[in-house]
Amino acid sequence: MKRNQCDPPSSVRAQGLALFVLLPVLAGCDGVQSALAPAGEDASVLATLFWVMLIGAVVLFTLMNGLFFYLTRIRVHAQSETVARWLMIGGGIVLPVVVVGTLLVWGLSILPDHRQGGDGLRIHVTGEQWWWRVEYWPEGADEPVIAANEIRFPAGERTELVLESAHVIHSFWIPALGGKMDMFPGRETFLSLRPTRPGTFRGQCAEFCGASHTWMAFDAHVMEPDAFDDWLAAQTEDAAAPASAAAERGAELFGREGCGACHAIRGTDHVGTVGPDLTHIGSRTTLAAGRLGVSQSDFQDWIAHPDALKPGVEMPPFDHLSDDEISDLARYLRGLE
Amino acid sequence: MTKDDAPQADEDRREFAEEADTLWEITIAPAIWALHFLLCYGLMSLACAKDLFPAGTVRLVLIAASVAALAAIVGLGLRSLRQWGALKTGEITHPRGTPENRHRFLGHAAFLLSVIAFLGVIFVSMPLLVIGGCQ
Ligand code: HEC
Ligand SMILES: [Cu+2]
Repeated sequence: MKRNQCDPPSSVRAQGLALFVLLPVLAGCDGVQSALAPAGEDASVLATLFWVMLIGAVVLFTLMNGLFFYLTRIRVHAQSETVARWLMIGGGIVLPVVVVGTLLVWGLSILPDHRQGGDGLRIHVTGEQWWWRVEYWPEGADEPVIAANEIRFPAGERTELVLESAHVIHSFWIPALGGKMDMFPGRETFLSLRPTRPGTFRGQCAEFCGASHTWMAFDAHVMEPDAFDDWLAAQTEDAAAPASAAAERGAELFGREGCGACHAIRGTDHVGTVGPDLTHIGSRTTLAAGRLGVSQSDFQDWIAHPDALKPGVEMPPFDHLSDDEISDLARYLRGLE
Repeated sequence: MTKDDAPQADEDRREFAEEADTLWEITIAPAIWALHFLLCYGLMSLACAKDLFPAGTVRLVLIAASVAALAAIVGLGLRSLRQWGALKTGEITHPRGTPENRHRFLGHAAFLLSVIAFLGVIFVSMPLLVIGGCQ
């Protein structure tokens, strides 16, 4: 039987009552952005902690209410002072001290894990309003591979993430892979993740950072290590030359409209750094930090009306261009694989 | 009305004088807890964030401070346990407003406060034992 990703550890699966209470939660836990469907070591630790605490809380809640019911409905007469006293000392002092103490030791013992060193790859992520600047530093590299709005991990390896922010506080969180970590302007924070299950997961900014905070997300791809190495090698390449007449026209428009003042496309003379690096934008799975897909019409919508899709966005609308021109631009960018 | 029956201005004050002098003593154990907390967080952040002291040394110093704090709290706890007198007399509560009752009540309160201060110090010290460094 294939085990559902959301099932709690089998030892506790018998807690039928608990699961019943959990139904509304479970409904949402099979997705790409669920801490209850862990795809990595760090998220598993947190998921176990969650299940233990939740089931513990349900048991305690039931016990408390059972006791309450028993004493007010079933054994209504006065209790002896000794019973009352031991109930108070046992249930009011000893039990909470033991439970809280155990949880504290457990929590403290897993706390340092988030900061353990990695196996070589280091990814530098800077939170921008409202997108992610990403640099890959493979072991021994002296210059980074620049990307944006997508993070790829080799499965089974521990990757270090160095987090920073350009203007305001953001928070970096891929629930399926691990806990979250805030990103501060002028200060580096650190997180390490060891994803184990290849797949595509969703990360989301988890600290309110302005009008388009909700639209500040990204895809996290966990890949087999070999596939990851191939992908990273391809990312170091310069951008592909336009491969069709439409793309050719798009490349020209990109220069003429001044897109290159904000965007870099390596291998061309566009070196802007205000917006995301577009060198390999055609190989990504989302557009504008998870806001859109990557179809021709998604690209067109974005170029014509970025402000309608992300309030407050720093990219101006290009709706003065004709539909054909926007379509050419989109073709060019989609070809940058 | 005789002179003796007349209410005297400082009657309350005199009646409570004995306990008023020792009332503040019930705050000693929680104060130790608070100071220990401050010391732990202060020194550790100076060591980890500002690099002023080596974290390993700070950890040992703080573990020693924790042991000292716990010992002091145990001492206070035992003293207030005697003042409360529940073990000897078997009387747990002291509902009458006599000076004797007040005295014992303060012992009772101080004892409970030292229990919670003891637990507080242990919880605050836990990261020193479990985490160890600046992780
Ligand atoms: C004033 C600077 C600026 C100019 C000019 C500009 N952009 Fe942008 N662009 C941005 C910023 C900033 C973002 C990121 C917005 C966000 O996601 O919050 C962006 C995002 C994008 C994206 C999505 C990138 C990704 O990683 O998903 C594309 C595609 C894009 N721009 C294309 C263009 C094109 C084509 C032009 C010219 C017609 C252009 N941009 C002009 C600033 C600019
Ligand atoms: Cu945000």
